Amino acid sequence: MSNWERLVWNQQGVLLQGLGVTVEVCLIAFAVAITGGLTLCLIRTYFPPLRFAAIVLIEFFRATPIFVQLVWIAYVWPELFGWPNSFFTAGWLALGLQSSGYLAETFRAGIEGVARGHREAGYSVGMSPLLVFQRIVMPQAVLTVSPSIVNQFTVIVKSSTLISVITVQDLMFQAMKLVNVWYEPIEILTVTAGIYIVMVFLVSTAGKMLADLLRRRYGLAAA
Amino acid sequence: MDVMPAIRVVDLRKNFGALEVLKGVSFDVHTGSVVSMIGASGSGKSTLLRCINFLETPSSGDIFIDGEPMGFRSDASGQRRLRPLSEVNLMRRELGMVFQQFNLWPHMTVLGNVIEAPIRVRGMSRKQAVALGEECLARVHLSEKAREYPARLSGGQQQRVAIARALAIQPKAMLFDEPTSSLDPELTDEVLSVMRELAGDGTTMIVVTHEMAFAREVSDRVLFLHNGLIEEEGPPEQVLGAPKSERCRQFLSKYLH
Repeated sequence: MSNWERLVWNQQGVLLQGLGVTVEVCLIAFAVAITGGLTLCLIRTYFPPLRFAAIVLIEFFRATPIFVQLVWIAYVWPELFGWPNSFFTAGWLALGLQSSGYLAETFRAGIEGVARGHREAGYSVGMSPLLVFQRIVMPQAVLTVSPSIVNQFTVIVKSSTLISVITVQDLMFQAMKLVNVWYEPIEILTVTAGIYIVMVFLVSTAGKMLADLLRRRYGLAAA
Repeated sequence: MDVMPAIRVVDLRKNFGALEVLKGVSFDVHTGSVVSMIGASGSGKSTLLRCINFLETPSSGDIFIDGEPMGFRSDASGQRRLRPLSEVNLMRRELGMVFQQFNLWPHMTVLGNVIEAPIRVRGMSRKQAVALGEECLARVHLSEKAREYPARLSGGQQQRVAIARALAIQPKAMLFDEPTSSLDPELTDEVLSVMRELAGDGTTMIVVTHEMAFAREVSDRVLFLHNGLIEEEGPPEQVLGAPKSERCRQFLSKYLH
Protein backbone atom coordinates (compact mmCIF):
# COMPACT_ATOMS: atom_id res chain seq x y z
CA MET A 1 0.00 0.00 0.00
CA SER A 2 1.55 3.20 -1.08
CA ASN A 3 1.74 6.28 1.08
CA TRP A 4 -0.53 8.09 -1.38
CA GLU A 5 -3.20 5.50 -0.97
CA ARG A 6 -2.90 5.33 2.80
CA LEU A 7 -2.59 9.05 3.48
CA VAL A 8 -4.75 10.56 0.76
CA TRP A 9 -7.08 8.10 -0.94
CA ASN A 10 -8.22 6.45 2.28
CA GLN A 11 -8.75 9.88 3.87
CA GLN A 12 -10.78 11.24 1.01
CA GLY A 13 -13.90 11.43 3.14
CA VAL A 14 -12.24 13.86 5.54
CA LEU A 15 -10.71 15.91 2.76
CA LEU A 16 -13.96 16.10 0.80
CA GLN A 17 -15.80 17.17 3.91
CA GLY A 18 -13.24 19.96 4.33
CA LEU A 19 -13.58 20.85 0.66
CA GLY A 20 -17.33 21.12 1.11
CA VAL A 21 -16.88 23.60 3.96
CA THR A 22 -14.36 25.58 1.90
CA VAL A 23 -16.74 25.81 -1.05
CA GLU A 24 -19.63 26.78 1.20
CA VAL A 25 -17.69 29.51 3.00
CA CYS A 26 -16.33 30.88 -0.28
CA LEU A 27 -19.73 31.02 -1.97
CA ILE A 28 -21.36 32.79 0.97
CA ALA A 29 -18.39 35.17 1.23
CA PHE A 30 -18.63 35.88 -2.50
CA ALA A 31 -22.31 36.76 -2.19
CA VAL A 32 -21.52 39.04 0.75
CA ALA A 33 -18.68 40.63 -1.20
CA ILE A 34 -20.83 41.41 -4.24
CA THR A 35 -23.76 42.74 -2.22
CA GLY A 36 -21.54 44.70 0.16
CA GLY A 37 -19.28 45.98 -2.60
CA LEU A 38 -22.17 47.20 -4.71
CA THR A 39 -23.85 48.84 -1.74
CA LEU A 40 -20.66 50.61 -0.68
CA CYS A 41 -19.99 51.72 -4.23
CA LEU A 42 -23.51 53.11 -4.73
CA ILE A 43 -23.40 54.97 -1.43
CA ARG A 44 -19.98 56.37 -2.22
CA THR A 45 -20.97 57.45 -5.72
CA TYR A 46 -24.57 58.60 -5.33
CA PHE A 47 -25.29 59.35 -1.69
CA PRO A 48 -23.13 62.24 -0.50
CA PRO A 49 -24.32 62.30 3.17
CA LEU A 50 -22.80 58.87 3.74
CA ARG A 51 -19.99 59.10 1.23
CA PHE A 52 -17.32 59.63 3.85
CA ALA A 53 -18.51 56.68 5.92
CA ALA A 54 -18.44 54.47 2.83
CA ILE A 55 -14.91 55.55 1.96
CA VAL A 56 -13.74 54.81 5.51
CA LEU A 57 -15.27 51.33 5.39
CA ILE A 58 -13.87 50.57 1.94
CA GLU A 59 -10.38 51.67 2.94
CA PHE A 60 -10.63 49.84 6.25
CA PHE A 61 -11.60 46.55 4.60
CA ARG A 62 -8.87 46.96 2.01
CA ALA A 63 -6.12 48.03 4.36
CA THR A 64 -6.43 45.45 7.14
CA PRO A 65 -4.75 42.10 6.62
CA ILE A 66 -7.28 39.29 6.25
CA PHE A 67 -5.71 37.46 9.19
CA VAL A 68 -6.25 40.41 11.51
CA GLN A 69 -9.81 40.91 10.28
CA LEU A 70 -10.63 37.27 10.73
CA VAL A 71 -9.43 37.17 14.32
CA TRP A 72 -10.93 40.56 15.07
CA ILE A 73 -14.38 39.62 13.76
CA ALA A 74 -14.26 36.18 15.37
CA TYR A 75 -13.18 37.35 18.85
CA VAL A 76 -13.97 41.06 19.14
CA TRP A 77 -17.30 41.43 17.32
CA PRO A 78 -19.14 38.98 19.60
CA GLU A 79 -17.99 41.10 22.56
CA LEU A 80 -18.93 44.39 20.86
CA PHE A 81 -22.08 43.45 18.94
CA GLY A 82 -23.07 40.01 20.23
CA TRP A 83 -22.55 38.64 16.70
CA PRO A 84 -21.34 36.58 14.85
CA ASN A 85 -22.20 33.66 17.07
CA SER A 86 -20.15 31.01 15.27
CA PHE A 87 -16.66 30.85 13.83
CA PHE A 88 -18.16 29.62 10.58
CA THR A 89 -20.13 32.87 10.29
CA ALA A 90 -17.11 34.92 11.33
CA GLY A 91 -15.13 33.15 8.59
CA TRP A 92 -17.38 34.02 5.63
CA LEU A 93 -18.08 37.44 7.05
CA ALA A 94 -14.42 38.44 7.25
CA LEU A 95 -13.68 37.05 3.78
CA GLY A 96 -16.76 38.73 2.35
CA LEU A 97 -16.16 42.10 3.92
CA GLN A 98 -12.56 42.32 2.82
CA SER A 99 -13.49 41.52 -0.77
CA SER A 100 -16.42 43.94 -0.62
CA GLY A 101 -13.88 46.74 -0.13
CA TYR A 102 -12.07 45.71 -3.30
CA LEU A 103 -15.24 45.08 -5.27
CA ALA A 104 -16.64 48.49 -4.29
CA GLU A 105 -13.69 50.05 -6.10
CA THR A 106 -14.08 47.64 -9.02
CA PHE A 107 -17.74 48.58 -9.42
CA ARG A 108 -16.84 52.25 -9.21
CA ALA A 109 -14.32 51.84 -12.01
CA GLY A 110 -17.02 50.11 -14.04
CA ILE A 111 -19.56 52.87 -13.49
CA GLU A 112 -17.06 55.61 -14.23
CA GLY A 113 -15.95 53.72 -17.32
CA VAL A 114 -19.34 54.08 -19.00
CA ALA A 115 -18.88 56.76 -21.64
CA ARG A 116 -20.59 60.06 -20.91
CA GLY A 117 -22.04 59.95 -24.41
CA HIS A 118 -23.96 56.78 -23.57
CA ARG A 119 -25.65 58.57 -20.69
CA GLU A 120 -26.34 61.60 -22.86
CA ALA A 121 -27.88 59.40 -25.53
CA GLY A 122 -30.24 58.15 -22.83
CA TYR A 123 -31.15 61.65 -21.68
CA SER A 124 -31.61 62.78 -25.27
CA VAL A 125 -34.39 60.24 -25.83
CA GLY A 126 -36.15 61.42 -22.68
CA MET A 127 -34.93 58.84 -20.16
CA SER A 128 -34.80 59.90 -16.51
CA PRO A 129 -31.50 59.71 -14.60
CA LEU A 130 -32.79 56.65 -12.76
CA LEU A 131 -33.70 54.89 -16.01
CA VAL A 132 -30.34 55.81 -17.51
CA PHE A 133 -28.64 54.32 -14.48
CA GLN A 134 -30.72 51.13 -14.49
CA ARG A 135 -30.78 50.47 -18.19
CA ILE A 136 -27.55 51.94 -19.51
CA VAL A 137 -24.94 52.53 -16.82
CA MET A 138 -25.38 49.55 -14.52
CA PRO A 139 -25.67 46.78 -17.12
CA GLN A 140 -22.55 48.04 -18.89
CA ALA A 141 -20.66 48.47 -15.63
CA VAL A 142 -21.54 44.97 -14.45
CA LEU A 143 -20.61 43.47 -17.81
CA THR A 144 -17.24 45.20 -17.99
CA VAL A 145 -16.24 44.34 -14.43
CA SER A 146 -17.66 40.82 -14.34
CA PRO A 147 -14.32 39.17 -15.19
CA SER A 148 -12.71 41.14 -12.35
CA ILE A 149 -15.50 40.06 -10.04
CA VAL A 150 -14.90 36.45 -10.97
CA ASN A 151 -11.20 36.93 -10.29
CA GLN A 152 -11.97 38.35 -6.86
CA PHE A 153 -13.50 34.96 -6.16
CA THR A 154 -10.06 33.38 -6.55
CA VAL A 155 -8.77 35.79 -3.90
CA ILE A 156 -11.53 34.62 -1.58
CA VAL A 157 -10.66 30.97 -2.24
CA LYS A 158 -7.01 31.54 -1.43
CA SER A 159 -7.68 33.69 1.64
CA SER A 160 -10.14 31.10 2.90
CA THR A 161 -7.25 28.85 3.90
CA LEU A 162 -6.76 31.16 6.88
CA ILE A 163 -10.13 30.45 8.44
CA SER A 164 -8.70 27.25 9.87
CA VAL A 165 -6.98 29.42 12.50
CA ILE A 166 -10.38 30.20 13.97
CA THR A 167 -11.12 26.46 13.89
CA VAL A 168 -13.48 26.42 10.91
CA GLN A 169 -13.07 22.91 9.55
CA ASP A 170 -12.31 23.69 5.94
CA LEU A 171 -10.05 21.80 3.55
CA MET A 172 -6.89 23.33 5.02
CA PHE A 173 -8.03 22.50 8.55
CA GLN A 174 -8.68 18.86 7.68
CA ALA A 175 -5.38 18.56 5.82
CA MET A 176 -3.45 19.90 8.80
CA LYS A 177 -5.37 17.55 11.08
CA LEU A 178 -4.28 14.57 8.98
CA VAL A 179 -0.70 15.85 8.97
CA ASN A 180 -0.79 16.03 12.75
CA VAL A 181 -2.14 12.50 13.02
CA TRP A 182 0.37 10.81 10.74
CA TYR A 183 3.30 13.22 10.86
CA GLU A 184 3.70 12.67 7.12
CA PRO A 185 2.98 15.96 5.41
CA ILE A 186 4.37 15.40 1.90
CA GLU A 187 1.47 13.61 0.23
CA ILE A 188 -1.35 15.28 2.10
CA LEU A 189 -0.14 18.83 1.63
CA THR A 190 0.79 18.22 -2.00
CA VAL A 191 -2.68 16.96 -2.78
CA THR A 192 -4.24 19.82 -0.82
CA ALA A 193 -2.21 22.35 -2.78
CA GLY A 194 -3.30 20.57 -5.95
CA ILE A 195 -6.96 20.88 -5.04
CA TYR A 196 -6.57 24.63 -4.45
CA ILE A 197 -4.73 25.04 -7.73
CA VAL A 198 -7.52 23.26 -9.59
CA MET A 199 -10.18 25.39 -7.90
CA VAL A 200 -8.42 28.66 -8.64
CA PHE A 201 -7.63 27.56 -12.17
CA LEU A 202 -11.25 26.69 -12.89
CA VAL A 203 -12.49 30.00 -11.54
CA SER A 204 -9.93 32.15 -13.33
CA THR A 205 -10.51 30.27 -16.58
CA ALA A 206 -14.19 31.07 -16.24
CA GLY A 207 -13.20 34.72 -15.77
CA LYS A 208 -11.09 34.70 -18.92
CA MET A 209 -13.82 33.07 -20.96
CA LEU A 210 -16.25 35.68 -19.76
CA ALA A 211 -13.87 38.48 -20.74
CA ASP A 212 -13.50 36.94 -24.21
CA LEU A 213 -17.22 36.64 -24.64
CA LEU A 214 -17.73 40.28 -23.66
CA ARG A 215 -15.12 41.42 -26.12
CA ARG A 216 -16.52 39.38 -28.95
CA ARG A 217 -20.17 40.06 -28.42
CA TYR A 218 -20.28 43.59 -27.05
CA GLY A 219 -16.86 45.00 -27.86
CA LEU A 220 -16.40 45.73 -24.15
CA ALA A 221 -12.89 45.59 -22.73
CA ALA A 222 -12.89 44.04 -19.28
CA ALA A 223 -11.89 46.29 -16.39
CA MET B 1 -50.62 85.45 -37.86
CA ASP B 2 -47.17 83.92 -37.81
CA VAL B 3 -46.89 80.16 -38.11
CA MET B 4 -45.33 78.72 -34.96
CA PRO B 5 -41.80 77.56 -35.75
CA ALA B 6 -40.87 74.00 -34.76
CA ILE B 7 -37.86 75.36 -32.90
CA ARG B 8 -37.37 78.97 -31.83
CA VAL B 9 -34.14 80.04 -30.17
CA VAL B 10 -34.10 83.48 -28.57
CA ASP B 11 -30.98 85.29 -27.41
CA LEU B 12 -29.29 82.11 -26.25
CA ARG B 13 -26.14 82.55 -24.18
CA LYS B 14 -23.83 80.01 -22.61
CA ASN B 15 -20.76 80.48 -20.44
CA PHE B 16 -18.39 77.84 -19.21
CA GLY B 17 -16.94 79.76 -16.28
CA ALA B 18 -15.42 82.92 -17.69
CA LEU B 19 -15.51 81.56 -21.22
CA GLU B 20 -18.50 82.84 -23.16
CA VAL B 21 -19.23 80.26 -25.83
CA LEU B 22 -22.59 81.56 -27.06
CA LYS B 23 -23.12 85.29 -27.01
CA GLY B 24 -26.76 85.72 -27.86
CA VAL B 25 -28.01 83.54 -30.69
CA SER B 26 -31.53 83.73 -32.11
CA PHE B 27 -33.10 81.84 -34.99
CA ASP B 28 -36.20 79.90 -36.02
CA VAL B 29 -36.49 76.51 -37.62
CA HIS B 30 -39.78 76.03 -39.39
CA THR B 31 -41.57 72.72 -39.50
CA GLY B 32 -40.29 70.56 -42.33
CA SER B 33 -37.23 72.68 -42.98
CA VAL B 34 -33.55 71.85 -42.72
CA VAL B 35 -31.11 74.27 -41.11
CA SER B 36 -27.39 73.62 -41.36
CA MET B 37 -24.92 75.16 -38.97
CA ILE B 38 -21.39 75.64 -40.13
CA GLY B 39 -18.39 77.28 -38.56
CA ALA B 40 -14.90 76.60 -37.32
CA SER B 41 -14.13 74.44 -34.28
CA GLY B 42 -14.87 76.42 -31.16
CA SER B 43 -17.40 78.66 -32.88
CA GLY B 44 -20.09 77.28 -30.54
CA LYS B 45 -22.17 75.26 -32.98
CA SER B 46 -22.07 71.99 -31.04
CA THR B 47 -22.73 73.81 -27.77
CA LEU B 48 -25.70 75.52 -29.41
CA LEU B 49 -27.12 72.19 -30.50
CA ARG B 50 -26.57 70.66 -27.05
CA CYS B 51 -28.24 73.66 -25.41
CA ILE B 52 -31.33 73.18 -27.55
CA ASN B 53 -32.12 69.87 -25.85
CA PHE B 54 -30.57 70.90 -22.54
CA LEU B 55 -27.67 68.47 -22.53
CA GLU B 56 -26.01 71.77 -21.65
CA THR B 57 -28.08 74.18 -19.59
CA PRO B 58 -28.05 77.59 -21.28
CA SER B 59 -26.87 80.49 -19.12
CA SER B 60 -29.72 82.59 -20.44
CA GLY B 61 -32.11 82.82 -23.34
CA ASP B 62 -35.13 80.82 -24.39
CA ILE B 63 -35.86 77.82 -26.52
CA PHE B 64 -39.35 76.95 -27.68
CA ILE B 65 -40.35 73.64 -29.20
CA ASP B 66 -43.65 74.13 -31.02
CA GLY B 67 -44.19 77.17 -28.84
CA GLU B 68 -43.56 75.27 -25.59
CA PRO B 69 -40.63 76.63 -23.54
CA MET B 70 -37.97 73.94 -23.29
CA GLY B 71 -36.06 74.35 -20.08
CA PHE B 72 -37.27 77.53 -18.44
CA ARG B 73 -40.72 78.71 -17.54
CA SER B 74 -42.05 81.86 -15.96
CA ASP B 75 -43.74 81.30 -12.62
CA ALA B 76 -46.75 83.24 -11.30
CA SER B 77 -44.68 86.27 -10.36
CA GLY B 78 -43.05 86.37 -13.78
CA GLN B 79 -39.74 84.98 -12.49
CA ARG B 80 -37.86 82.77 -14.90
CA ARG B 81 -37.28 79.35 -13.39
CA LEU B 82 -35.54 76.23 -14.57
CA ARG B 83 -38.16 73.56 -15.11
CA PRO B 84 -37.82 70.42 -13.02
CA LEU B 85 -35.66 67.74 -14.58
CA SER B 86 -38.68 65.49 -15.07
CA GLU B 87 -40.29 68.12 -17.34
CA VAL B 88 -37.06 68.74 -19.21
CA ASN B 89 -36.90 64.99 -19.81
CA LEU B 90 -40.40 65.00 -21.23
CA MET B 91 -39.46 67.85 -23.55
CA ARG B 92 -36.28 66.16 -24.67
CA ARG B 93 -38.17 63.36 -26.33
CA GLU B 94 -39.55 65.91 -28.77
CA LEU B 95 -36.04 66.22 -30.17
CA GLY B 96 -34.07 63.34 -31.64
CA MET B 97 -30.34 63.75 -31.20
CA VAL B 98 -27.63 62.13 -33.28
CA PHE B 99 -24.09 62.36 -31.90
CA GLN B 100 -20.72 62.51 -33.56
CA GLN B 101 -19.65 59.39 -31.65
CA PHE B 102 -22.92 57.47 -32.34
CA ASN B 103 -23.23 56.54 -28.64
CA LEU B 104 -25.08 53.33 -29.24
CA TRP B 105 -25.54 51.25 -26.11
CA PRO B 106 -23.19 48.33 -26.64
CA HIS B 107 -24.99 45.90 -24.35
CA MET B 108 -28.20 46.04 -26.38
CA THR B 109 -28.85 44.72 -29.86
CA VAL B 110 -29.53 47.15 -32.68
CA LEU B 111 -33.27 46.65 -32.25
CA GLY B 112 -32.84 46.90 -28.47
CA ASN B 113 -31.24 50.31 -28.88
CA VAL B 114 -34.09 51.49 -31.08
CA ILE B 115 -37.02 50.24 -28.97
CA GLU B 116 -35.59 51.19 -25.56
CA ALA B 117 -37.11 54.67 -25.41
CA PRO B 118 -40.43 53.78 -27.07
CA ILE B 119 -40.94 51.16 -24.36
CA ARG B 120 -39.46 52.90 -21.32
CA VAL B 121 -40.24 56.51 -22.15
CA ARG B 122 -43.29 56.39 -24.40
CA GLY B 123 -44.76 53.42 -22.55
CA MET B 124 -45.45 51.38 -25.69
CA SER B 125 -46.01 47.65 -25.53
CA ARG B 126 -43.08 45.60 -26.70
CA LYS B 127 -44.99 44.47 -29.76
CA GLN B 128 -45.85 48.01 -30.83
CA ALA B 129 -42.29 49.14 -30.15
CA VAL B 130 -40.80 46.32 -32.20
CA ALA B 131 -43.07 47.20 -35.12
CA LEU B 132 -42.05 50.84 -34.84
CA GLY B 133 -38.39 49.90 -34.40
CA GLU B 134 -38.42 47.74 -37.51
CA GLU B 135 -40.01 50.55 -39.44
CA CYS B 136 -37.30 52.97 -38.27
CA LEU B 137 -34.55 50.49 -39.13
CA ALA B 138 -36.07 50.09 -42.57
CA ARG B 139 -35.86 53.86 -43.06
CA VAL B 140 -32.09 53.68 -42.48
CA HIS B 141 -31.86 50.46 -44.57
CA LEU B 142 -30.63 48.25 -41.75
CA SER B 143 -33.53 45.87 -41.20
CA GLU B 144 -31.25 42.88 -41.58
CA LYS B 145 -29.00 44.01 -38.70
CA ALA B 146 -31.75 44.18 -36.06
CA ARG B 147 -30.40 41.29 -33.98
CA GLU B 148 -26.73 42.24 -34.16
CA TYR B 149 -24.82 44.01 -31.40
CA PRO B 150 -23.44 47.45 -32.30
CA ALA B 151 -19.83 46.26 -31.99
CA ARG B 152 -20.40 44.12 -35.11
CA LEU B 153 -21.39 47.09 -37.28
CA SER B 154 -19.30 49.54 -39.27
CA GLY B 155 -19.22 53.17 -38.18
CA GLY B 156 -21.62 54.16 -40.92
CA GLN B 157 -24.05 51.44 -39.93
CA GLN B 158 -23.77 52.42 -36.27
CA GLN B 159 -24.60 56.00 -37.09
CA ARG B 160 -27.61 54.93 -39.13
CA VAL B 161 -28.81 52.87 -36.15
CA ALA B 162 -28.35 55.97 -34.01
CA ILE B 163 -30.55 57.86 -36.46
CA ALA B 164 -33.18 55.09 -36.26
CA ARG B 165 -33.01 55.25 -32.45
CA ALA B 166 -33.66 58.99 -32.54
CA LEU B 167 -36.50 58.58 -35.07
CA ALA B 168 -38.13 55.95 -32.86
CA ILE B 169 -39.06 58.51 -30.21
CA GLN B 170 -41.10 60.18 -32.96
CA PRO B 171 -39.57 63.57 -32.35
CA LYS B 172 -40.79 66.88 -33.72
CA ALA B 173 -37.29 67.64 -34.97
CA MET B 174 -33.94 65.92 -35.40
CA LEU B 175 -30.65 67.38 -34.20
CA PHE B 176 -27.46 66.16 -35.84
CA ASP B 177 -24.16 66.96 -34.15
CA GLU B 178 -21.46 66.45 -36.79
CA PRO B 179 -22.92 63.06 -37.69
CA THR B 180 -20.21 62.15 -40.19
CA SER B 181 -17.14 63.70 -38.57
CA SER B 182 -15.86 60.46 -37.07
CA LEU B 183 -16.49 58.40 -40.19
CA ASP B 184 -14.15 57.43 -43.01
CA PRO B 185 -15.04 59.18 -46.26
CA GLU B 186 -16.43 56.01 -47.83
CA LEU B 187 -18.81 55.56 -44.89
CA THR B 188 -19.91 59.19 -44.87
CA ASP B 189 -22.06 58.82 -47.97
CA GLU B 190 -24.35 56.14 -46.59
CA VAL B 191 -25.17 58.36 -43.60
CA LEU B 192 -25.65 61.48 -45.71
CA SER B 193 -27.94 59.66 -48.11
CA VAL B 194 -30.14 58.53 -45.21
CA MET B 195 -30.24 62.13 -43.97
CA ARG B 196 -31.10 63.31 -47.47
CA GLU B 197 -34.05 60.92 -47.51
CA LEU B 198 -35.23 62.19 -44.13
CA ALA B 199 -35.06 65.75 -45.36
CA GLY B 200 -36.98 64.71 -48.47
CA ASP B 201 -39.69 63.21 -46.22
CA GLY B 202 -40.17 66.60 -44.60
CA THR B 203 -38.31 65.93 -41.34
CA THR B 204 -37.44 69.09 -39.45
CA MET B 205 -33.68 69.03 -38.97
CA ILE B 206 -30.81 71.03 -37.55
CA VAL B 207 -27.49 69.74 -38.81
CA VAL B 208 -24.11 70.80 -37.51
CA THR B 209 -21.80 69.77 -40.29
CA HIS B 210 -18.59 70.24 -42.20
CA GLU B 211 -20.09 68.66 -45.32
CA MET B 212 -20.58 71.77 -47.42
CA ALA B 213 -21.92 69.97 -50.47
CA PHE B 214 -24.53 68.29 -48.32
CA ALA B 215 -25.46 71.57 -46.63
CA ARG B 216 -25.85 73.28 -49.97
CA GLU B 217 -27.98 70.53 -51.44
CA VAL B 218 -30.29 69.75 -48.51
CA SER B 219 -30.61 72.88 -46.37
CA ASP B 220 -33.29 75.49 -46.56
CA ARG B 221 -31.13 77.84 -44.50
CA VAL B 222 -27.50 77.89 -43.48
CA LEU B 223 -26.17 79.58 -40.35
CA PHE B 224 -22.51 80.49 -40.14
CA LEU B 225 -21.36 80.75 -36.53
CA HIS B 226 -18.31 82.64 -35.48
CA ASN B 227 -17.18 83.25 -31.90
CA GLY B 228 -20.55 82.42 -30.41
CA LEU B 229 -22.61 84.58 -32.75
CA ILE B 230 -24.45 84.02 -35.99
CA GLU B 231 -22.19 85.85 -38.37
CA GLU B 232 -24.20 85.16 -41.48
CA GLU B 233 -27.41 83.36 -42.31
CA GLY B 234 -29.54 82.81 -45.34
CA PRO B 235 -30.34 80.35 -48.09
CA PRO B 236 -27.46 78.03 -48.95
CA GLU B 237 -26.82 79.63 -52.35
CA GLN B 238 -26.13 82.90 -50.58
CA VAL B 239 -24.18 81.78 -47.48
CA LEU B 240 -22.20 79.09 -49.26
CA GLY B 241 -22.15 80.64 -52.72
CA ALA B 242 -21.79 84.35 -52.21
CA PRO B 243 -21.18 85.09 -48.54
CA LYS B 244 -21.32 88.72 -47.51
CA SER B 245 -19.14 88.33 -44.44
CA GLU B 246 -15.39 88.27 -44.85
CA ARG B 247 -15.02 85.63 -42.09
CA CYS B 248 -17.50 83.34 -43.76
CA ARG B 249 -15.62 83.72 -47.04
CA GLN B 250 -12.36 82.86 -45.32
CA PHE B 251 -13.91 79.86 -43.60
CA LEU B 252 -15.41 78.55 -46.83
CA SER B 253 -12.21 79.04 -48.80
CA LYS B 254 -10.72 76.13 -46.82
CA TYR B 255 -13.40 73.85 -48.22
CA LEU B 256 -13.15 74.83 -51.87
CA HIS B 257 -10.55 73.26 -54.03
